[in-house]
Amino acid sequence: MARIPTVELTRYLLARQMSHHGCLRVGRASLPSRAAIGQTRRFTSPIQSSTPASPAATPSPPVPLRKQLKDQARALKASGYKKKKKTDNQTVPGWELTVGIEIHAQLNTARKLFSPAATSFDDRPNSHVALFDLAVPGSQPIFQPETLIPAVRAALALECDIQRVSRFDRKHYFHWDQPAGYQITQFYEPFAKDGHIKLYARDGIAAEDGEEVTVGIKQVQMEQDTAKTVAMAGETHRIDFNRVGVPLIEIITLPEMHHPATAAAFVRKVQMLLSSVDACTSGLEEGGLRADVNVSVRRTDDASDTLGTRTEIKNLSSFKAVEDAIIAERDRQIAVLEAGGAVQGETRGWSVGSIETRRLRGKEGEVDYRYMPDPDLGPVVIGEQLIEHLAKSMGTLPDGEVDLLINTFGLTAKDALALKSLDDGIRVEYFYNVVRHLEGHYRRVDVPEELRHKHSSLAANWCLHELGKLVKASNELGWTENGECVIPSASLAEILYQLQEKKITAKVAKELLWMSFRQEIPGGHVVAVIDTMGLWFKELSENEYAELADEAAEDEDKVLSEFLRFKDGKSKAYPQGKLMFLVGKMMRAGPEEQMDPGSAERVMRKRIDKVYVPSLQSKGAS
Amino acid sequence: MSTRSRLQGLCLRHVSSKRRHAATSHQQRRLLNQFISKAPLQDDTPDTQPPFPPFTLAVKDNIATQSLPTTCASSFLNAYHSPFEATIVTQLRSRGACLVGKTNLDEFGMGSHSTHSAFGAVSQTLPNEGGEEYSAGGSSGGSAVAVAAGEADVALGTDTGGSVRLPAAYTGVVGFKPSYGMLSRHGVVPYANSLDTVGLLARGVKEIRELVVGGGLWLEHDPRDPTSLSEAARARCASVRKGYAGVDGGKPEEVLRGLKFGIPLEYNVEELDPRIRDAWAAAAAALQKLGARIVPVSLPTTRHALSAYYIIAPAEASSNLAKYDGVRYGSRASDTDAGSSDAADGGVLYAASRGRSFGSEVQRRILLGAYTLSSEAMDNYFIKAQKIRRLVRRDFDRAFALANPLQGEPEPFDLSDLSEDILMENKLGPVGVDFLLCPTAPTLAPKLEDVVGAEGQSPVNAYVNDVFTVPASLAGLPAVSIPVRVAAEGGHKDVANTAGLQLIGQYWDDARLLAAAGAVMEVLGGSSR
Repeated sequence: MARIPTVELTRYLLARQMSHHGCLRVGRASLPSRAAIGQTRRFTSPIQSSTPASPAATPSPPVPLRKQLKDQARALKASGYKKKKKTDNQTVPGWELTVGIEIHAQLNTARKLFSPAATSFDDRPNSHVALFDLAVPGSQPIFQPETLIPAVRAALALECDIQRVSRFDRKHYFHWDQPAGYQITQFYEPFAKDGHIKLYARDGIAAEDGEEVTVGIKQVQMEQDTAKTVAMAGETHRIDFNRVGVPLIEIITLPEMHHPATAAAFVRKVQMLLSSVDACTSGLEEGGLRADVNVSVRRTDDASDTLGTRTEIKNLSSFKAVEDAIIAERDRQIAVLEAGGAVQGETRGWSVGSIETRRLRGKEGEVDYRYMPDPDLGPVVIGEQLIEHLAKSMGTLPDGEVDLLINTFGLTAKDALALKSLDDGIRVEYFYNVVRHLEGHYRRVDVPEELRHKHSSLAANWCLHELGKLVKASNELGWTENGECVIPSASLAEILYQLQEKKITAKVAKELLWMSFRQEIPGGHVVAVIDTMGLWFKELSENEYAELADEAAEDEDKVLSEFLRFKDGKSKAYPQGKLMFLVGKMMRAGPEEQMDPGSAERVMRKRIDKVYVPSLQSKGAS
Repeated sequence: MSTRSRLQGLCLRHVSSKRRHAATSHQQRRLLNQFISKAPLQDDTPDTQPPFPPFTLAVKDNIATQSLPTTCASSFLNAYHSPFEATIVTQLRSRGACLVGKTNLDEFGMGSHSTHSAFGAVSQTLPNEGGEEYSAGGSSGGSAVAVAAGEADVALGTDTGGSVRLPAAYTGVVGFKPSYGMLSRHGVVPYANSLDTVGLLARGVKEIRELVVGGGLWLEHDPRDPTSLSEAARARCASVRKGYAGVDGGKPEEVLRGLKFGIPLEYNVEELDPRIRDAWAAAAAALQKLGARIVPVSLPTTRHALSAYYIIAPAEASSNLAKYDGVRYGSRASDTDAGSSDAADGGVLYAASRGRSFGSEVQRRILLGAYTLSSEAMDNYFIKAQKIRRLVRRDFDRAFALANPLQGEPEPFDLSDLSEDILMENKLGPVGVDFLLCPTAPTLAPKLEDVVGAEGQSPVNAYVNDVFTVPASLAGLPAVSIPVRVAAEGGHKDVANTAGLQLIGQYWDDARLLAAAGAVMEVLGGSSR
């Protein structure tokens, strides 16, 4: 068997090792990508970049992602690289790109796949480990049937045929994160086959794919996760076996995607589907999901049925990385072919912000996994009843829910998708709670569609954008399973009700949101706080508005003359801009917290029509 | 010497006077290296629960115990203490077993002479041959010698392709391999999981039968072993079997009368020692005389069984042994290993440790297995071997009168496939038999010097010793080897003049098989049943 440098093994085998300083993947080990990032700044030849200096040998303080990206951008600029516009990077004339994807997702289960040890996240290292997890001699795997529940749900969400009989196989390779020397997976007879998912324009597919495109799923298989390696200073690696044996599913697509954006949309949609059926622990960027992509190109006039030689890019850790890596690899392969060369079947890597993929190992370095049916494990037989029960209890799939949000709640496709995909589907539950509480204030049995749309648009805006302004990362909001966060949905609904009824200003509403976030509203009694702090909107009287208007209109005859020209029919359009200029002046002059821009505009317009223009006319006449 | 007398003192109060005599008569033997570790005196007060009488137990050192190390006779595990005890050891201790020691074996159970051990070869000597050393058989050679020497009443072995039966035959004791899935493998360090079984050795059939049938071992499902038959499956299998009600049997004649013993024609190979062939024929004649029927049967796939075994078992072994890497088990070979930091030079972490710490036979089988599982060889070797395995089982199912409870309807077959020597019972085909009767091994115990070292047997020659034991392993069937006398050569009457006769039964017919084996042994002049 070929010998592979351990560093390379590390990079492609230690699935969740990529460092994600800043917003990505808190709490994961950060061994390989620090070196990888250092290396992408250099644009070295593939050979050099495949064998970087030992990453852990030069420990450096963590660099914030933002800074990394900035540095990379600067380096890119210095190298004379020009970024292509997103719109024109989906196709290369004369070439057809083909992409297949493999996604690994951690199943949401209480127990490991073959031992009763608990699954955990960030618990004390090596505290949930059974004898079999460590491959202690004489210990044996005991399949935990309840792991089938999320696995079958996921396969159903992917429209797969659930196989009545499936089996487990051993995949052999040596690595310290895998105590048995093999991983138990389903190679010969996976539990689910022949699925597909539909991607729509709203999912963010490439424009070239039109309104919708279907991606076939070849198979879905269950397998064991590996242990987690934690890089320490120097050459020390610590291994946490809590993760070893945690159940995963691997989703393998057919090579049916032809545009980078579509591939990224596919991964995003798979994540959304899995979280909506509660099959998966967390998303791509939290490390619960990993994507490998297979990329090949061929000339569009190639009449043969065969695809070009493909390469595999391992361990992509964000949707952007999926798209960027595919673009880079496609362009590299085309360049190789146009120069008369041949693409080598090999495994390549990608690091965040890079412009090219790098070679990890070639075909001659491929490991022969020597798949063998596990002789200790019997076949898994999945009964029709279980499938039926799970299909029934699965609830609405994301596409159905997005349609509901658009049609019944009147949201834009963008807001609907955003709500659905945030926080593993908890954000949209929160949204429903807010809307329910908000409608409760109106004490109406059947809410007219127009009013409901008004409520839900307001609620969606605040649930997405105003909430988003409070924190850097969404998980700081303290989401709970039942669709709540640190700001009780009832409190937000109360704030929005008062805002909608113009009892408070938008500025006050935002201030109250902050207070609620900081737990400064005792018992969540928003109204009491408004009372005690005197935050009620005490609007100026009509006269007071008029006085402010008069003040603002003073010495503005030139502006006002535009309104006269309109009235006289000399200009076609009402001078709305001029009106707003005057309103702005008014607002600045008056006490803002007691003014409503709408009222100010209404009063100003009235005064122009009734007072200022006639007065101008009389001036002109005299 | 003092160790042994201390050891025997340990459980002497439990040992009947008859047995004590048997034990002391063997004390002239040299130290035969049959133990890797021995229990200290104060250890192991048996958790005796009446009605189980106490007995001494030796345990093959690839079965986990907590009081003594579990080395598998490998450098990788030479100081390994298991954090848990194998289910079978716990089960036997609760039935009166008093652990006397862990016995030597071929490393991880791979070998036919117990010579491939990190602790040196096991041997047996014949007092009246001037200390000449003979093979004890393998891989459970240490267990067999411990029983033969009277140091244990019962010994645990493991039988993957004959590793209990072959040493039993060479040392003149009884070796029993149960139906696959009957006795728990939890705590047995696996060699080839789909073939591995826990086997028992004793000087007579009776001790084994009293534990497996009388002691109810056959009934106990172990939830920690996924290949241990479920309680429902045990009940279903037993419902179509007889003999599980108890161990009270009649006289041998009564047990044997009317039983049909099949003589597999394909087992009469050229390499078979003529003395064994004669003993086999004499045994058949004796049984016939007592009212049993002797029926020639055909097991046509037998000639492929050995090849299939030596593909399947090494394949599983190469996988099972991947965990021994010199990091968690054994010691790192730091002299030649580049270590992880020199990854740029293509350095690897484990290869040197594995090359240094595994013995040559284990390395040979790992390489063989790695090859037959490789993507280009898989279809031509591993898959074909599995197909042969099915054919072997089908051969047995056709020969036996009882159906295999793990299979569906018996497959119809073409009578023209059968050998012309097979007699038809009626127009439907030949008569189905109760048991198969055949030799355990083609030769008597060879001299140790002929099987060790560079001038010793080639690996293939050693593998041929398993030719009669492997088919039952491939089919998961129960089989027992009992000692028979063969014509003495040069007038000696000793262990080298003892061969093994093997009885094979249909799946889960273990109770009847043991009853019949006891009767046959008594009839053929064995000491006990």
